[in-house]
Amino acid sequence: MTIEWGNFLIVLVASILAGCGTVILFALGLRFAGPDTRRLRPLGVVCFALCAALILYGVYLVIPFFHR
Amino acid sequence: MVALVIALALFFDFTNGFHDTANAMATPIATGALRPRTAVAIAAILNLVGAFLSTAVATTISGGLINEGSNGVQITPTLIFAGLIGAVLWNLVTWVLGLPSSSSHALVGGLVGAAIVGAGFGAINIGNLLSKFVIPAVLAPITAGLVSFLATRIAYRLVKKRQREGFRYGQVFTSSLVSLAHGTNDAQKTMGVITLALIAGGFQGAGTGPQFWVILVCALAIALGTYSGGWRIIRTLGRGLTEIEPGQGFAAEAATSATILASSHLGFALSTTQVASGSVIGTGIGRKGASVRWRTAGRIAIGWVITIPAAAVVGAIAAWAALLGAAGVITDAVVATVVIVAIFLISRRSNVSARSLTIEPTQFVRPKRRKTSKKERGAA
Repeated sequence: MTIEWGNFLIVLVASILAGCGTVILFALGLRFAGPDTRRLRPLGVVCFALCAALILYGVYLVIPFFHR
Repeated sequence: MVALVIALALFFDFTNGFHDTANAMATPIATGALRPRTAVAIAAILNLVGAFLSTAVATTISGGLINEGSNGVQITPTLIFAGLIGAVLWNLVTWVLGLPSSSSHALVGGLVGAAIVGAGFGAINIGNLLSKFVIPAVLAPITAGLVSFLATRIAYRLVKKRQREGFRYGQVFTSSLVSLAHGTNDAQKTMGVITLALIAGGFQGAGTGPQFWVILVCALAIALGTYSGGWRIIRTLGRGLTEIEPGQGFAAEAATSATILASSHLGFALSTTQVASGSVIGTGIGRKGASVRWRTAGRIAIGWVITIPAAAVVGAIAAWAALLGAAGVITDAVVATVVIVAIFLISRRSNVSARSLTIEPTQFVRPKRRKTSKKERGAA
């Protein structure tokens, strides 16, 4: 029985980074795009764009055609 | 025999589809981000597309759990047939009970049972059973739950209450990603089974990939299954475990997709179903004021524990009968059909449909679960 604990640790860290990263970006986007932070709106757009990029990277990972 | 295996494999693919719609679509349906019908339609299309995108079919359907090949058990179409019966029946039982359980575990369990009858306990690789199925089944919900918990905390810390509805729009994208990932993974299993049956039956050269019609019908079967919507499991995941708000839904789906993608690309395969369930529980713990129904969580966990053994028992009985000869195979097929029909009849008694899960987009507070009215019951 061999459990690749090293691999599991990498998966755990990567999941936390990617999962929380998506949420942080989207949450900041929502916050900056709100009505009482009008001046920060461009920043909100940037956050949404980065979040979209992260999701598109997920699509890229899902489709083997792109990287194999 | 091969034709029978193909038909049964496609039916398994169908059950796989409607079993796993919930993984991606339970949370957006629960928060009203997507209407139930729209959600399953999106999931079906993405599953269809996903099935064509990736055809890297596994060379061993059992994932190394059964010692296949010259010094192990020879997987014949008969054994695959018996294994599929175990997988299909267990998938239907868990569906009626509304339990999200792993379809791959059901398939593997069925095949293991069949292999034990065909070749004895020596055919099973216990080490691989632990390292590839049992331990990941414990780690998957914990990992996803942790990610989802942290993500929920962050989402609620960063965004003020009245802006949280915005998470609904994000949910559409994250849940679609989960669906696509599911499509690229799960249809491959059935393609692998059918291809192996064709090779074993001598219709196709060893070591060749799946033929185009196999890819096509597998993609269609899983998409059709997804579209038919496993409303029972969607209800369990979306409402049974905890009440989900849009912010939680987004966090849970981000956690699910991140965990699935990380695990499938960094070489530590985790079950989609278990990851999705873990995420929902994690987000339930993460939001203040939300409560997790641990009884339901416990039922789901018990379902996971017995999935492989239960499917194995059915697979073993089916294999025992099938190995007796043609009459046994026919008996298997007839009994399986009767049980499948019976399960569908039982499921009609308590109707769970798209309508009973619809949430109005403007609804902030979720209504109490509507009991099926007399009129609806009469129609069913």
